[in-house]
Formats: sequence, C-alpha cells, structure tokens
Amino acid sequence: MILDNPYLHALIVGLPLLAVALTVAGFGVFYERRFAAWIQLRRGPVWVGPQGIFQIVADALKMFQKEDLVPASADQAIFKLASWFPMFLALSLLAVVPMGAVEAEDGSWTAAWAVSSLDVGILWPLALGGLMVFPLWAAGWSSNNKYSLLSGMRMVAQGISYEIPMVLTAMVPVILAGSLSLDDIVTYQMNHGWFAVWPPGPGLVAFVIFFLTSLAEADRVPFDIPEAESEIVGGITIEYSGIRMGLFVLTEYAHTFVAAALTATLFLGGPHMPFSVGPAWMGVVWLLGKTLFLFFVIYWIRWTWLRYRADQLMDLAWRWLVPVSLGLVMLSAVWVQLMEGK
Amino acid sequence: MKHYLRGLHLALYETLRQGFKPRITQGMRSVEQHEERYRASFALTHNEHGEQACIACMQCSNVCPSHVIEVTAGPKEASPATGKKRGWAADYTLNLQACILCEMCVQVCPTDAIVMVKVQEKPGFSREDLVLTMDKLYANAKARPLAWANGSILREMQDPKREVKP
Amino acid sequence: MDPIFQPFRDDPHYPLDRYEAAADLMLLNMGPQHPSTHGVFRLKLVLDGEIIVKAVPYMGYLHRGVEKMVEGLTFAQMTPIFNKHDYVSPMTNEQAYAVAVETALGIEVPRRARYIRTILAEIQRIASHLLWLSTFTLDMGGVIGGGAAMMMYNFREREDIFDLFEAVTGSRFHYNTHCIGGQRHDLPEGWVQRVRAFLDRQERAFDEYLRLIRNDIFDLRTKGVGVMSADLALGLGITGPNLRASGVDFDMRRDAPFHAYDEVEVRVAVAQGCDAYARYEVRMAEMRESVRILRLLLDQLPEGPICGSKPVKMANAVRVPDGRGYTAIEGPRGEIGTWLIGGGEDKGAKPFRLKIRPPSLHAMAAMSYLLPGHTVSDVVVVLGSLDPIMGEVDR
Repeated sequence: MILDNPYLHALIVGLPLLAVALTVAGFGVFYERRFAAWIQLRRGPVWVGPQGIFQIVADALKMFQKEDLVPASADQAIFKLASWFPMFLALSLLAVVPMGAVEAEDGSWTAAWAVSSLDVGILWPLALGGLMVFPLWAAGWSSNNKYSLLSGMRMVAQGISYEIPMVLTAMVPVILAGSLSLDDIVTYQMNHGWFAVWPPGPGLVAFVIFFLTSLAEADRVPFDIPEAESEIVGGITIEYSGIRMGLFVLTEYAHTFVAAALTATLFLGGPHMPFSVGPAWMGVVWLLGKTLFLFFVIYWIRWTWLRYRADQLMDLAWRWLVPVSLGLVMLSAVWVQLMEGK
Repeated sequence: MKHYLRGLHLALYETLRQGFKPRITQGMRSVEQHEERYRASFALTHNEHGEQACIACMQCSNVCPSHVIEVTAGPKEASPATGKKRGWAADYTLNLQACILCEMCVQVCPTDAIVMVKVQEKPGFSREDLVLTMDKLYANAKARPLAWANGSILREMQDPKREVKP
Repeated sequence: MDPIFQPFRDDPHYPLDRYEAAADLMLLNMGPQHPSTHGVFRLKLVLDGEIIVKAVPYMGYLHRGVEKMVEGLTFAQMTPIFNKHDYVSPMTNEQAYAVAVETALGIEVPRRARYIRTILAEIQRIASHLLWLSTFTLDMGGVIGGGAAMMMYNFREREDIFDLFEAVTGSRFHYNTHCIGGQRHDLPEGWVQRVRAFLDRQERAFDEYLRLIRNDIFDLRTKGVGVMSADLALGLGITGPNLRASGVDFDMRRDAPFHAYDEVEVRVAVAQGCDAYARYEVRMAEMRESVRILRLLLDQLPEGPICGSKPVKMANAVRVPDGRGYTAIEGPRGEIGTWLIGGGEDKGAKPFRLKIRPPSLHAMAAMSYLLPGHTVSDVVVVLGSLDPIMGEVDR
C-alpha cells in the first residue's frame, strides 16, 4: 500500500468517510421524511429545491439561527458537553469498518481500506457503543427536568441490557471466522458466503438479533422508549434547543447509519460483491448499498410499528435475546468444530 | 408465555402497500374543492329592483349567537321602485372575528338580504381586516359566488307542509 | 401487579404514607401541556421510579362557561353553541340538545327527519371512533412512529365523512343542521349513493387497520392495562363503549330508543375483558355495526317533510314556559344527557338552567382508580382507551 504511515492513511481514508457519513446522516432526515410521507399517503417536503432535496439545508439554517438556550437550573457545563459527545462516539464507530475488497493473484479476496485495521476490531465499536449511554444519561440528568431524568434512566437500563445480546451475537461471526478483526471477518465472508445466509441456523438468527439490538442501541422504533414523545415528551432532548437539539437529531441518524453499516459488515459481507466481480471501488458502492438497505428497513419499521413498554423491553432482552444469543454462540462453536473435523 | 414478534410482518406489508395508493393531502398551491352547499363568508344582496334588500328588521342581529352583527336602521322611506314605505339599513357590519358561521342570520332574513358566499375571507394583518362593513358585504355579493342557501330556500325546505315528492 | 398498589386502586384517597416507608417518591405533573393528554388535562402522578403510586386528575383547563352562557341565549340560538362541546362528534351533541327541547315541548319529529338524524349520528359515530383509533395508536406508537401511519389512514376515511357532511350542511365541522323539531337541511340529490360508496370503502379499510395493529406489540401494550371492573364503571356513571367493555350490556340505542333506532335492530357489542384491549374491541365492533345499521337505514329512508315545527324566523321562536326534565341519547362516547329547566328570561325563550351530562367527564373520574400500579407508559394508553374529549369534560 502507498499509505504505510497509519496516521496519513487514517486521514486520507477517514475524512471522505466522515464526509459521507455526515452527508448520509443529514440527508437521512430528508430520505426519512419523504419515505414516511410516501407510506402515509402524504407528499412530504417538496418545496425547497427540486423535489425538496435542500430541505435539510433549510432545517440546518433554522437550527443555527435559533437561540442556544441553557436552562438556568441546569448543570451548565455537563449540559453543554453532553450535546457534543454522542456525535463523536457515533461516528468513531465507523473507524474499523473495511470498505473495499482487493483480489489476490490466486483469485481469493481480501478486505481492505478500513480507517484503522485493528486486530481486535470488533471490540472497538462494541466498546464505544456501550459508552454512548454516558453522554445521553448526562444530558438527561443535567437538564434538571423530570421527563429528561426518566428518559435518561430508561436510556441506561435499555442501553446496558441490549449491550449483552449485541456483544453475544457479534461473537457468532467472530467464532465462525476465527478472528476478532473485522478485516478477517469480512475476508472470511468473501470466500465462504455471508454469515446471514451461511451457516443457515445460527447465522440468520444472529443477524436478526443483532439487527434488533442495534435498533435498541440507536433508540429506534419499536425500542424508542427513552425518547417516547407521547409519554415523556421527547425525553433527554426536551430542554435542548437550537444547534444542540440539531446535534442530537443528527446523532440519531448518524448512529442509525453506523448501526446499519456495522450490521452489513458483520452479517452481509460488507463490501463483498455477490453477483458481479468488478473493480475494488465497487466494494464501497456495495457496502453503501447494503447499509442504505438496512437504513431503509429501519425506517420502514419505524413508521409501521408501535413501541414496547419499558418492562416488556427488558423482558424481551433478558428472557429471550440473551439466552438465545448464548445458545447461538455455542451452536456456532459446535459448527466450527464439525466443519473443521471433516 | 409472552410473544413479542407475531403479526408484525403484516403491518410492514400493509404500510408498503399503502405507499402505492393515491395521495390524500393537497399541496399548498392546489385549489380547494368544495361541495355545492359550502358556506364560508357573507354578502349583502340587492333585490330585483336594484335597491338594497335589507330592511333593517334586526332579526339577524337578534338571532346571532355571538352577537357579531350590528345594524343601524335609517328612516323609513318610500321605495323609489315600488313606492311602498319600507325600512333601510344605514349601516351594517358583521365582525368575522367572533362569527361561528352558523347560518342562523341567513335562516331568519325575511328579504334574503344577508346570504353566504363560497369563498373564504383572506387572512388579514389587523383586526379591521376581518370586520365586514356594508361596502365589503355588497362587494362580496358581486365578486364572489353566492352559496346555495338563502332565507326563503331554507324556510321552504323546512316547511312542515312541504309537498312530498312521489 | 404488586398487591401493594391494590389499596391505592380501591381508594384514590388512600394515604400515601402507608406506602413503603423507604420508597423515594417523585411528583410528576403530566400536563396540562403534554402531547398525549388529549387536550389540556393535568394528571398529578406520584411515582416510585416509573411506577405510579397515586394519580390525581385535574380538569377545568378548557372551561368556557357554556352552561351559564346559554342561560342568556334563546333556544333557537343554542344549537351552534352545543356542537362545540364535544368537538369530535358535533352532530350528536346538537341532537342531544334538540331532543331535549323537543321532549320538553312535546314536538313530534317527522319520520324522515328522525331517519336523517339516525344516519348522521351513525356516520358521526364512525368518524368519532376513527379519531379515537388514530389517537390511541398515536399514544402508543408516537407521532414519529407507527401511530402516525395509522392516523393518516384513519383520516383518509374521516375526510370522506366530512365531505358527506359538507354536502348536507355546507359546513365541514360545526354543522348547525338541527333545529327544534327536525332538520334545517334536507339531504341533497345523490347523497345516499355517495354514502353507500363510502360504506363499501370503509369496510375494506377496516381490514387495513387490523393488519396494522393486530400484532403482538399492540396486544402487549393494551391487554391487562387499565382494568375497570363493572362495579367501578357503574359506580362512576361511566357509559358508552367504556361501560360495554366492562361487560355491562347496556346501549341506549337498543334499550331506550330515540330517533329511528326503534325501527332497526342494533346489535350491541359487549366485551368482557374490562381492559384497554376490550375497549378497543368494542369500538371496532361498533364501527362495523354502524356500517351495517347505515345500510339498513339507507334502504328504508322515507320521503316527507324534515321539520315538525314552523321554520325559525326570529330569535325567540321557541319558548319553554315551564317544566323540567332530563333526556339523554347515546353518543359515540356514551350517554349525552341534558337537564333542562324551562321558564327563564323573556317568557321562557331562554332556559332557566341547562345542564349537560358529558360522558367523558365520568370517564375521567376513573383515571385515579385505574392508574396506580401501572407505569408512566401506560398512562397514555389508559387515557387514550377511555377516549375523553376535553372540550366536553370542561364545557
């Protein structure tokens, strides 16, 4: 590779990645509004620019112009800090996702082009995803609002509970591929088939559970209990206004995008091209396509389902998802033994 | 045993299916469609001789539940067209700010003077914009399509001895 | 549910200090500005974590003093005032008032007018229940969530209903189409065919709604939530679908017929579940029943005059010189009662007293019985399932 210096590599690969992620997150608002309108027999935003594509610009301008209100009784420093951290955390999850595929001379494929190819790559997004709880809880607590407090408490309970099945199901690809590195996991899928499809039992169930838990981690319907606006009026964002509120909204979309990208990487082969074998940059397109498909499914679900109650959410996590994902880990271990035994 | 995920795929199917149905909202530049009997604002009419139809009998002012109609009666004079002595309204204002568009003034008007029109008043920037003065009311009758009902039509429709259609 | 909450459910005035001494209770004022309180309604909640120990409802934020105001209005002026009480079913509110004065004066309403009233009331019942369904799912699914999709589908049919009403009365919402003794507007040409077409569309739409909400999330959120026993419901004077969901087979359309309900068979929907799900079942069944009744009524619609008294020509055309009496009709939310004392000012042209008995007010009284032991999330489900309209509660 030309980029032997890891810092230079991270800069050159990471900056376009950040730009793409932020753009997608920003336009995610527009995509979602148009899609929701399509489902709901409405028209959606159609006036700003051709077919309303500049709606996000108008929204952002509005957000910037609004007064940055900090409640007098809020914990000022934490209140201000808490609005910035979720964005950093959500975007830094992307650092280990390999985006391209390189063909070797013997016809085998290797994943490449991650911002940082960590050997323990899978632990990075899981650990940082777990950290997401803290700034959100800090925002809920420092707002000095009872709805925000309830929301923060729900956020912590939900985030920690769903962390466990998420980590356990992420272990299934790890065991099957035999490596913690995301590069190796993707390389394995390129040569042996996607984990969502093969092995037929544990892979598919693990994919579904991982997808559900990442919905819960990103606070999406049907698990959007921490921000249930019909119960606790929007939760942690209730006291935020202006650009801080805008940051929370953008974080939501960024986090959803990142969760979709991670699911696509772990279970849908990442940049793997299933039908045609093209140049390496086509891998980026394929990864983006898979991510946007999951993104679409998340919003499809969001505008269709109702939401669970907090205790039912806990029940689902601890009574069903944790035991099932534990079983999946064992099953995949057995699978690996059987396949290697042959 | 509690179940969590049954039946949810049907909901997903339904929302996707609805996406292909015709839209139900109107864009802000589309024209409003209204029924034949739609009523929105008011107008004062002239009678068949071209005189003002209002005879200042005060029935509309009395029946208005919100008390928004103010009529000032002028002196009773003979009509130039028929020569009969009749009342004349010197001034007539209808304050749309508190009007509830209940159509009671139309119902009681003996000379079909006050009627409703099909086009709404435009939103204004001052309170005076929504006060329909006599001039505005007469202008409305000329400029806007009149609504279906007037006092005679309504009372004829409600007549207990109305002819039964075969 | 934890048995520690049972005394709080039995008696809303049970002292809080008999709850666990170690508990750290938090007071949360839900409303009057809250997206899911169906208007301006305030609930004082005492929370132990997320669980409600005590709930106190506060009404009156939308009080407009209508009952005092109408003492200064003549009977002919009042109909447009009364359709603003329950702003989700104005038609039945007008009818309740018109029936009250007609009963006091002994005016006989022509058969065609009674049929028109019944038809309008049943269409209004569908419209009202559609709005209930959309707000109920909005409470559970959120404005940015599945509830909003359901709401848009409901409002598509509700718009059709408004178009039908506009064709008759000229107004989309505050109709003023009833007068003492009959109707002010006759049905226009071709209206009956339009209603039939609408009913066909509506029947297909029911299946669409069911596909959206007949799933486990809806069941989990509604089953066993807000259990109201028949004794409690009868004791609080709760009527309508809320009462029938508690297993009491009572419907004034069948048991005390008014309008033209004595000429059609009304199959009353009753559910035994007593919870929010039972209330949903009853309302869905009622909508289907309304469609069936409407088809029968449209088939039998007679010709003839539409008003039994002389058309209103002046403000004090109707006088109730003396007498007093209570009349009630079954609205979409239950019994809309009118207690009328005649002989007011202007030789009886104005009422001495006119008291409205709104069904929603009685339903609100149940909140403090139903909520203890449930979580904050269930508040909106219980409130939504009772289908209150704050304009009617506070008047």
